[in-house]
Parts: sequence; C-alpha cells; structure tokens
Amino acid sequence: MQAWKLKYMIKLHPWLIVLIRILLGIIFIYASYDKILDPGKFARDIANYHIIPMGFENLIALIIPWLELFIGIGLVAGLMVDGASMISGGLMALFILFIFQATLRGFNIECGCGLKEGEMVGWNKILENLVFLGASYLVWHRQQKLFELFPKTPLSD
Amino acid sequence: MSTKQQVKLIITVSVLVGLISNLVRSDAISWVAEPIKVVKNVNDVLLTLSEPEIREIDLGMAKSLHKKGLLFVDARAEEYLSDGMIPDAIANDDVGLLSEQIEYLIGYEKGFVIYCSDDDCGSSEELAYELQDFGYMNIFVFKGGWKSWTNAGLEIEIHD
Repeated sequence: MQAWKLKYMIKLHPWLIVLIRILLGIIFIYASYDKILDPGKFARDIANYHIIPMGFENLIALIIPWLELFIGIGLVAGLMVDGASMISGGLMALFILFIFQATLRGFNIECGCGLKEGEMVGWNKILENLVFLGASYLVWHRQQKLFELFPKTPLSD
Repeated sequence: MSTKQQVKLIITVSVLVGLISNLVRSDAISWVAEPIKVVKNVNDVLLTLSEPEIREIDLGMAKSLHKKGLLFVDARAEEYLSDGMIPDAIANDDVGLLSEQIEYLIGYEKGFVIYCSDDDCGSSEELAYELQDFGYMNIFVFKGGWKSWTNAGLEIEIHD
C-alpha cells in the first residue's frame, strides 16, 4: 500500500508542478493587465515606496508589467519556462523586499501588486508573495518538463 | 537555449515593448517622473488655470487655504475617518460620487485640497489624478496630511 502511494505521488508530482506553473502564469498575466493599461498609476504606486531614486519609477512602471505579461505567457504556454520561472522568482524576491521595508517603515500605502484594487502593504502581502516565490522555485527545479513547447529538451514530453 | 539566454531574451523583449508602447500610446508617461510643483504663494492658488494642474502644499499653506474656505477632501479609507477629519472636509470611497459632490459644491474650475494620513500615504496623490481625469482643473495635495494637521494641534471634526 505504502509503495503504491509513493509511486502515485511520484507520478502525480510532475502534473502538480504543471498546474502550479500554469496558475502562476495566469496570476502574472492578470497582475500585468491593469499596470499595462495605466502605467502612470503603477508608477505612483512604486513612488509611494520611497525607495527608487531620481524618478526612475516611470521607467520601471513601463517595463515590469510587460515582463510580468511575458513570463506569464511563458509559464502558461510552456515557453522558455526555465527563464520565466527564474525571473518570476527574482521579481517575487524584489516585491517581498519592497513590501517588507514599507511595512517596517509603517507606510500605509497600496501595494500596487495588480491583483486586487486597493490592497495595502503588510504581512499578508509578504506571505502571499512568499507563496508565489515558493511556486517559482518549484517550477524552476522541476524534474520533468511536461507540456513545454520551447525549448524542446530530451526531458520534454 | 540556456536559462541565461532565455532570461536575457525575455528581459530584452519586455524592455523594448515597454518603451515602444509608451512612444505610441496617447496617454504616454514621461520617462522619468517629475516631482509635483510646490505652491508657496497663496495668490498662486487663486489663479484660474488654462491647463489642469496638481500641485503640492505644506501645512502652513493648508492652514491658510482652510481659513480662506477652500474645500478639503479626505482621501483616507472610510475606517480611518472615525478618528476625525479636518473641519468641513468631505470624503467618499466612491470616486464617482465624490466627484459629483465636488462638482455640486464648487464646480470644476475652483481649487480644492486633498489630504491623506501622512507624508507617505500616497492616496491623496492617487485620488488627485483620478479626479483630474474627471475634469477638475486645480487640485492641491496636502503633504503631511492628517498627521501633520493633528500634530500641529489644529482643529478637527469628529463625526458619529
């Protein structure tokens, strides 16, 4: 019975990773949508963190949403999943740092995460992003490359 | 294709698309953010503007404008309003209803002041941009907001 369970788990695992990968991708695509439509608002959300010098928040606000969209599409469609999951992890680590310092400094600001209107920074957001960081790590360190269109590797299905 | 090459490609494409999209869109933003202009002279507040503007004021100016009877708008979320508000200020979480209220009270041309909880809150600036989209011409963001007002021991109004 135990052996059957273990075998089942091992078989299930790669599919679970595919599911996590697709969900993470959908979250990134969804999060990018409003930011692409209104980069000005996203730039102001970034500025509220008081961490970016010399007005560079506008440039960041123009680039990050597209980065989120492309890694989201990559994760959903199985395109350049290694690169997409690595950038996804990097972005999550960066977001956690931003929110962490704002929370410590007692800022009462919108997080600008793009998932829900009016979400404020705080420990809940840090925890949420830690979960996404963990998901990115799982995808990056996946054992089998299932449903991946490009690049094709001997491991891909 | 190695992971490093994938990362480089995704980042390069994102940078290019992000920058090019800003060149072609009608509501493009400046490449580098410019700080909001600070108003130092009360007379500047009363000027009629030909272009819509959002400008910043400090506590001293906020006090003067409050004395002159300018409308104050509280941008804090509803749950914070029970602490009190600047006297005669209005607030509404629904920006559409808030806009209707401002239009009814002072119209689109006259200046009004928006404040939030403190120096770092950001919601006053956010609301200012939203209201500017509704057509308001002359908006002032009170930097320091509720915190600096109460720290200065100025009068407040508590609603039930």
